[in-house]
Amino acid sequence: MPERAALDNLAFAPAEPEIRSSYDTAAPEPAVMADVGRTGPPPSRAGCGVTEQDQAAQLRTPPPLPPPGDDVIGHTYRTDLSKVRALVLQQGRAAGLSESRANDLVLAVSEVAANTLRHTQSSGTLTIWRQPGELVCEIQDEGTIADPLAGQTRPGPDATGGHGLWLVYQVCDAVELRSDESGTTIRMHMGIQPPS
Amino acid sequence: MDLLTTSVATADGDPYTLVALAGEADVTNSGALRELLDAEVAKEPRTLVIDLSELRFMDSSALHVILRANRTMDRQGGVLALAGPRDPVAKMLRLTAADQLLPVYATVAEATAE
Repeated sequence: MPERAALDNLAFAPAEPEIRSSYDTAAPEPAVMADVGRTGPPPSRAGCGVTEQDQAAQLRTPPPLPPPGDDVIGHTYRTDLSKVRALVLQQGRAAGLSESRANDLVLAVSEVAANTLRHTQSSGTLTIWRQPGELVCEIQDEGTIADPLAGQTRPGPDATGGHGLWLVYQVCDAVELRSDESGTTIRMHMGIQPPS
Repeated sequence: MDLLTTSVATADGDPYTLVALAGEADVTNSGALRELLDAEVAKEPRTLVIDLSELRFMDSSALHVILRANRTMDRQGGVLALAGPRDPVAKMLRLTAADQLLPVYATVAEATAE
């Protein structure tokens, strides 16, 4: 799942292999680097009819996210992020996340929802559902994130901006991001330990 | 009830200013937080302690306001310190490495000990 997510997120990037060499290998956490290392273009398979152009097009157009589960909780917000956080905390606890991980998810969702307030004039939607082994929170809004790698490197030590998405990637088990002119969808996944 | 409440205490003869935050600090009230901190920083205290013990939540926009105040305090030769963050706030300070940029104490008493 995380590997797939990283690959799909990067699919937004222009298919320039140099993108990996421009990555600041000193800053990110090892897990992030491991994922990025797996996100190069697929190996070419001679004779199977896949041209480099096909591959490039595929990389620029990420597959759509699978539909949410059947049993979803929806919430529309404009300015009341406190209510968004309360809902996520309640659902995180109900799903069996530890207090610490429930709070991690609260922080992640709040950071993404804050971007709706900052960068759009319209409301955003929070959708929460459970699927096997995990709880998923999705935020959709009309904003656009131009940089597919946004948040994947830690802002410099004295940066006074840019920590929001970094935190989202740090605390969630997997993050899926789709963004174009029509809007942005960010899915945050938290694994749930089966009761022992 | 306000999402974020703040109070400022400066006792005569104390070499520090204490700003206490309570509730939830996020993008919806970071402007007010910035005004409050700007006003206190402008008085050039030697030490500015922000008491976080009653703060249930802090997002990156509140952190940025604090980091900005810290930069000004630095320039003025003062120290900005944080005190008493609860677990979620402490974790956020750690993940952003803000805890390496400015001192974080377990309690206000420790922050004002010297």
